[in-house]
Amino acid sequence: MSITDLIYLSQKSLRSNILRSILTSLGIIIGVSSVITMISIGSGARIEVEQQIERFGSNNLIVRSQSSSNRGVSMGANSVNTLTLKDMEALKEELPAIKAIAPRVSLSTQIVANGNNWLATVTGTTNDYFDLGNWKFENGRSFEEEELASGSRVAIIGKTVQKNLFDTDSPIDEVIRINKVPFTVIGLLDAKGGTTWADLDDTVIVPLKTAKQRLVAKKFPGDQIRSMTINVRSSDLLFKTEKDVDTVMRKLHKISANGNPDFVIRNYAQFLNARQESSRVMSILLATVAGISLIVGGIGIMNIMLVTVTERTKEIGVCMSVGAKKRDILLQFLIESLMISLIGGLIGIALGLGVIFGVSEYFKWKMSLDYMSIVLSFVFSSSIGIIFGFYPARKAANLNPIDALRYE
Amino acid sequence: MGDNKLLALDNIDLSINEGDFVSIMGSSGSGKSTLMNIIGCLDVPSSGEYHFRDNNVSTLNSNKLAELRNKDIGFVFQNFNLLPRLNAQENVVLPLLYSGKNLKERNQLAIEALESVGLKDRVHHRPNQLSGGQQQRVSIARAIAGSPKLILADEPTGALDSKTGLEIMKILNDLNAKGITIVLVTHEDDIANYGSRIIKMKDGKILEDKKNVNN
Repeated sequence: MSITDLIYLSQKSLRSNILRSILTSLGIIIGVSSVITMISIGSGARIEVEQQIERFGSNNLIVRSQSSSNRGVSMGANSVNTLTLKDMEALKEELPAIKAIAPRVSLSTQIVANGNNWLATVTGTTNDYFDLGNWKFENGRSFEEEELASGSRVAIIGKTVQKNLFDTDSPIDEVIRINKVPFTVIGLLDAKGGTTWADLDDTVIVPLKTAKQRLVAKKFPGDQIRSMTINVRSSDLLFKTEKDVDTVMRKLHKISANGNPDFVIRNYAQFLNARQESSRVMSILLATVAGISLIVGGIGIMNIMLVTVTERTKEIGVCMSVGAKKRDILLQFLIESLMISLIGGLIGIALGLGVIFGVSEYFKWKMSLDYMSIVLSFVFSSSIGIIFGFYPARKAANLNPIDALRYE
Repeated sequence: MGDNKLLALDNIDLSINEGDFVSIMGSSGSGKSTLMNIIGCLDVPSSGEYHFRDNNVSTLNSNKLAELRNKDIGFVFQNFNLLPRLNAQENVVLPLLYSGKNLKERNQLAIEALESVGLKDRVHHRPNQLSGGQQQRVSIARAIAGSPKLILADEPTGALDSKTGLEIMKILNDLNAKGITIVLVTHEDDIANYGSRIIKMKDGKILEDKKNVNN
């Protein structure tokens, strides 16, 4: 008896009980859709983390000024600039794990060029800023040593600024006015795209010295800066260096170990870890649901197949009397349970895809469809059909033809 | 009970020749069903031997028995025993599926068999769309589709009215005339009379075995 004949006979009997077949496969449906969703959440989180590293650079710590809340009154994050270039130099000297530090001053201001104007964040920094932040140049170049040292009025602009100020794709050598001060554009950055909270491309970057002299002289007097990005040599040193930076900064700012610091250290890896952790928890939850429902689904299949075998005892007798061997009966019932579980698998895959697209559309949660998960679902559901269908099928095959024929 | 073994068949010595039409009669519990199961290779005797053509059936395993039933034996049951989900043709095809014939050949054989029992225009009807007599004819078609040597009919008219019963008996008679051996189990005298030999059983023993002079 060929496989196609077996499939033909099986689908005949499944169709005669279509509702029962679908209800039976419910457990498999839920299990398989959970498997697919789980894997997609996992790989979505992985991809998101990779993208974030791509955007913000890896192994970075960011140190920011923070008003110490003396006497219980917080002055707001922007009110005091407690970081200085001296802190930066000291950190570089004391901690060999630090590879580079990019200082930063910033202001939000009106940019005018070409008859257009646009509100953007202007950053004053050094060339390290580009390496540390994973910035690439679409056009033009970074600052030259001489420009940084002399405080030249040169600017590098982000994609959003270019689009809003210029009609041309190549704004190099054009002049923009920042706070009425004219700057020559020397570079255009590659687009990074937006995050949920900010458009990273809405930026103008000028040499630190230029910014301090011409744009933020009042806001950041002397050698004050807003923040610094610290690049650590390797990721294993990241958390240790975070602690070391805290210790050194407290020493520099004369703050005791349990006093309120006037700075805050952001470890981006922390955020990524948290993101990965939460998707891991979600995955474990779904894996549990998947595991339980696949087992329950398997038992459901076994149960209904046992009922089917009993219902069709007489039929089995008839088949045996016309020449069905044990193997034929075994295969027929195995294929029937396999078909139930595969139908469940298919519906489960469809449902899983629906959930994935629904969730990623509605919650803007990044989910990535992994094609391996579909293969995996097929393997799962078919093995469940075979494993849990085997006992009922063997029971059918071992029936005695005479007893089976006589069964009413 | 206890040590007393119940013998369904006791000391049976019987040979049936090819081309015979044998009627087996007896009340319930007489052992006629057990005898029929053994003749039909559905069961093997606990002691003694049964030879079917060149095979010593007593020594065969369940796969060999299935093969033998598939190739050489056709069954006709009192309650037809058709599969309700399959149409007439598919029911007739069933034994051919197990013998591994290809699609074209088995459909051909099934249609021929249905034609020969006069159901050419009912091939796509399902059992519940057919009358009792028609269902029994489908089951005869199923029995003969694989061109068996022997047909075992267990009370084939038991569930039919007498007129339809006679039609069925006529078909079996015609098959016998073509050389197929027929073993018929019945408790009705006029049905048994179609046989050329009538065996009467009681308590697992053969009570009487004689040529049928009326036939």
